[in-house]
Amino acid sequence: MRKLTPVALLCALSVPSLASADCGEVSITEMGWASNAVVTGVAKFIMEQGYGCDVTVVPSDTVPAVTSVAENGEPDIVTELWLNSAGEAYLELEKQGKIKRVAEVLDPGGVEGWWLPTYLVEKHPELKTIEGVMANPELVGNQFNNCPSGWGCRVVSDNLIRALDLEDSGIEVFNHGSGETLATSMASAVQSEEPWFGYYWGPTVPLGKYDMTRVQLGEYKPDVHSRNQTQNADNPGVSEFPAATILTSVTTDFSDREPEVAEMLSHMTFKTSTMSALLAWMDKNNASAEEAAVYFLSNNGDEWSTWLNDSAKEKLSSILGE
Amino acid sequence: MATYDFLFSSLGLKEWCAEGKSDAPMSMAALLNKSKGTEGAETSLWDLPFPSMDALNESCAAFPKSRELTRGLEEGFLAIKDNLSIVLDPITQPLSWALDGTLYGMLNTPWWIVIPILLAVVLFVTKSWKLVGFVAGSLCLLAFIDYYEYAMQTLAIIFVCAFLCVLLGVPIGIAMSRSDMMQRLTVPVLDMLQTLPPFVYLIPLIFLFSVTESKLYGIAIILYAIVPVIRLTNLGIRLVDKDVIEAANAFGMTSHQKLFKVQIPLALPNIMAGVNQTIMMSLAMVVIASLVSAPGLGVLVLQGIRNLELGVGLVAGLGIVILAVILDRVTKASLARINASQKQ
Repeated sequence: MRKLTPVALLCALSVPSLASADCGEVSITEMGWASNAVVTGVAKFIMEQGYGCDVTVVPSDTVPAVTSVAENGEPDIVTELWLNSAGEAYLELEKQGKIKRVAEVLDPGGVEGWWLPTYLVEKHPELKTIEGVMANPELVGNQFNNCPSGWGCRVVSDNLIRALDLEDSGIEVFNHGSGETLATSMASAVQSEEPWFGYYWGPTVPLGKYDMTRVQLGEYKPDVHSRNQTQNADNPGVSEFPAATILTSVTTDFSDREPEVAEMLSHMTFKTSTMSALLAWMDKNNASAEEAAVYFLSNNGDEWSTWLNDSAKEKLSSILGE
Repeated sequence: MATYDFLFSSLGLKEWCAEGKSDAPMSMAALLNKSKGTEGAETSLWDLPFPSMDALNESCAAFPKSRELTRGLEEGFLAIKDNLSIVLDPITQPLSWALDGTLYGMLNTPWWIVIPILLAVVLFVTKSWKLVGFVAGSLCLLAFIDYYEYAMQTLAIIFVCAFLCVLLGVPIGIAMSRSDMMQRLTVPVLDMLQTLPPFVYLIPLIFLFSVTESKLYGIAIILYAIVPVIRLTNLGIRLVDKDVIEAANAFGMTSHQKLFKVQIPLALPNIMAGVNQTIMMSLAMVVIASLVSAPGLGVLVLQGIRNLELGVGLVAGLGIVILAVILDRVTKASLARINASQKQ
């Protein structure tokens, strides 16, 4: 240990100057949803302008990104990785030491749950809880909009439906084929002020755009929820969804190569409320994700300046300076 | 400051421009300029932007940005959607009934009735015991690995959609063959249907109907798969020998008689080839249709992709291939019978 210290010191001294002088090529994922496009846009800007990296954005999705890391060790950075939908494959990679989590990119994480439009709940306050919904199935249109098959939430929702005997209360479960139809069915119902009851998650554009209220499923019970995560669980229980963990992960190879950038990424955390506000702003102004990233960068300087090291702060001072 | 300022000042539109407010969000390029401290620098001819809506907006705030165009389209659609759905909903309702009815019928009839009926149909159209044996083997294989229900759902959807494609496509093809004007108008539409990504029209359709309606995927499949039967019906009738038509004219046939007694029988091989292609293409849409909640093997393929269950995805994909081979062989065999009977 003692022998190592000078070497470590030397490294610590030499690496930052090297890295900031010449950060090489970096690849970062961009998942298909809006909040991630913003996160990626912000990260790309900071890495390019503050750290001098050559950033490639790889359009991807959770499962393909994880698979690609497993097979090729690329892309270097996977951000906004929903731990519950990445599943076992991701944990396996962490165990093998191919990838490591550096930060939770959203604080306190994503919200999942069963939702109703707020206008419906205001008109019928009894719908606030799942018991109220099940007692008045006709008020929610006798229908539950379930997750597409193959999503992590589908397994949990299926078990909840069985535990609650939702179908016995006269609510028909409709299994969507894709996230697109799930979102569109919500949008079209809310736009014509019709009832809609179903699963959704945030921060997303639809939840930022439409005023939705989460139906109370009762308490969050960790053991029940983890039981609900296995397909066709023997004794499903009723438990609220916990806040979902959303990670930024980098390949171990990358964090060895670019410790400076990895360090910045480990500080890169957005408040969930900030992200929701950003998405709402985006929708109101009909802006692209890139413009939302710019909006964040130019208005929340005090937030993201704390992520940077000194040399990057200096480089970006013209933007931070105002 | 912006490139096209001169354009608006020379047209005397300065005042009109000033009325527009410029609260547009900052673009990444502007932020980059700011971070480099190069804001407001002269742009060289090399960097001359194309006079697009966004570039013109920079010079004149009252000029609409390109996003106004997309927003206008969206708002326009939302404004007319109620009226549209009053018209379109009843017209397409029979499709929902047909799909739901066929699905219900095929799934609630026991397998030992459905499979023999299917085999009897195969025997009737192909008169080939070899093919019946092949179809029986394939269906039993699918049933043996517990994919019977999914396969039947997919088959039911394809039967309904392919039947409707033929029912609608053949008359359209005939109309095209009889009028050059009609052909000129229809061909671009057919080209568009084949290339337009299905989700582009599926998402607006969800706004019109409920997403739970089965007609949603029915429409998606029909719009895509109807094209070959229309094209080949048109082609088949146009390819009928001129001498034969002349002979028919010499016999004093009415145009009605000519169509049904001469042209369609002679075009039948082409029309059947179109039907074959239509069935194949509706099978190709099975996975995409599952994205808008169609039941069947497509659901399993999607599940396989999403969960990285390679086995499930491969077997379900193979199931689709088996169905495709069955349908292809059966329609080809009946096509061969028609050809043979015409040669006699």
